[in-house]
Amino acid sequence: MTGLAVDDAAWASAWRRRSPADKLLLCGGLVVCALALPAWPGSVLVGLTALALALGPARVPARTFGRAVRWPLAFIAVGALTSVVTVGTDGLGWAPDAAARAGSLAGHALAGSAAVLLLATTTPMSDLLPALRGLRVPAAVVEVAAVTYRLLFVLLASLHTIREAQTARMGYSSTGRGYRSSGALAAAVLTRSWDRARRMQEGLAGRGMETGLRVLPEVLPSSRAFVAGTVAGLSALVTVGLLA
Amino acid sequence: MHIAEGFLPATHAIGWTLAAAPFVVHGARQVVTEVRERPENTLLLGAAGAFTFVLSAVKLPSFTGSSSHPTGTGAGAVLFRPPVMALLGTIVLLFQALLLAHGGLTTLGANAFAMAVVGPWSGYGAYRLTRRLGGGLLPGVFAAMAVADLATYVTTAGQLALALPDAETGVAGAFVKFISVFALTQVPLAVAEGLLGVLLFRVLTVNARPELERLGLLAPAPEPTR
Repeated sequence: MTGLAVDDAAWASAWRRRSPADKLLLCGGLVVCALALPAWPGSVLVGLTALALALGPARVPARTFGRAVRWPLAFIAVGALTSVVTVGTDGLGWAPDAAARAGSLAGHALAGSAAVLLLATTTPMSDLLPALRGLRVPAAVVEVAAVTYRLLFVLLASLHTIREAQTARMGYSSTGRGYRSSGALAAAVLTRSWDRARRMQEGLAGRGMETGLRVLPEVLPSSRAFVAGTVAGLSALVTVGLLA
Repeated sequence: MHIAEGFLPATHAIGWTLAAAPFVVHGARQVVTEVRERPENTLLLGAAGAFTFVLSAVKLPSFTGSSSHPTGTGAGAVLFRPPVMALLGTIVLLFQALLLAHGGLTTLGANAFAMAVVGPWSGYGAYRLTRRLGGGLLPGVFAAMAVADLATYVTTAGQLALALPDAETGVAGAFVKFISVFALTQVPLAVAEGLLGVLLFRVLTVNARPELERLGLLAPAPEPTR
């Protein structure tokens, strides 16, 4: 358990051993379809496909998927509602095509979010970061991102431990105390991150690794059947989405 | 609050990605140079990115009774400078999209432009102005964090208004709508984030003074006389 439900789901997913490139092709294709196809029926089909793949073959827990989708859902609800309210000389009112516009916006956004979540809940970040090298992102940048990924779990654990201790000492019993505790919490996490980085660097330098963290990349071979299924499925979605 | 996946039309998503790209590439070049000259700083930069991500998980008591989360880019801009924050902020946004389902991949460019470019530069500008006008470190940090937060959400409101203009009043009307909805939560949050910054740096000036001196935020303390 790492403390981030989506990351936990990705490590436990039945698709964990699949090639990241294969999953990027599938999820990237679904994201593009969600954006480009008409909301009805295109985006709806994309959303249902992503959901069915996540809960079916990828075996992502429905609870994790449902909880993760709450963030985008809140934004989509507020954003879609705001976009169809008109401000005129008579005050507030509904846009003439309010229901269709809100439905289209929510359809595209929900389908796209489901496709991104399918990637997030089946592929750990440490599998995706090496793929950035293929996009010609400099090695130094990928390495900084990799260190960020590895350190954030350590810092999140520190954050929870310190907050628990502060709460037990009535650190959040009033608004004023809550602010003081939050400030001390952020400062403690920052100084710990510096301290961790310094100690890790000293440890690596002591082992002669002064030019970066080199690790053996895990080889996850591509599956022809998966790629063929992805291409066929995306083609079918585009055909149905455009012709229906 | 980041723009969710699929919320922007494809042309806007591409446009905002192109707008953010020069800043992110500039930040990446600075990081590459820094890592080439001082490889040991890879870990410090990674720690800075992780801190920015984790700071967004700190719950702030809200004036409305609920709790909110800071963006953390104002503090990052003061500590690590805006160009580096353009890259670190983009990395953090990518992680938030893939680890928290907060934001998106096609909207990464738009969110990066708002949170990793406009926010840090505005916050850093407010910090420099406050220091130049004679304000100390803490008023400067308050200005940086509050302005970075507000600038991020004003930009996000503008991006949404351009993508979803009002049926009667166009982009201007849509901007007023989105900024009004965001103001309900973001103005109190900006003040709260500024206060958090003051409390954070007050602790740092006591517990991490050498690091703040090394980053150029505090003048070196005079040698004690014997």
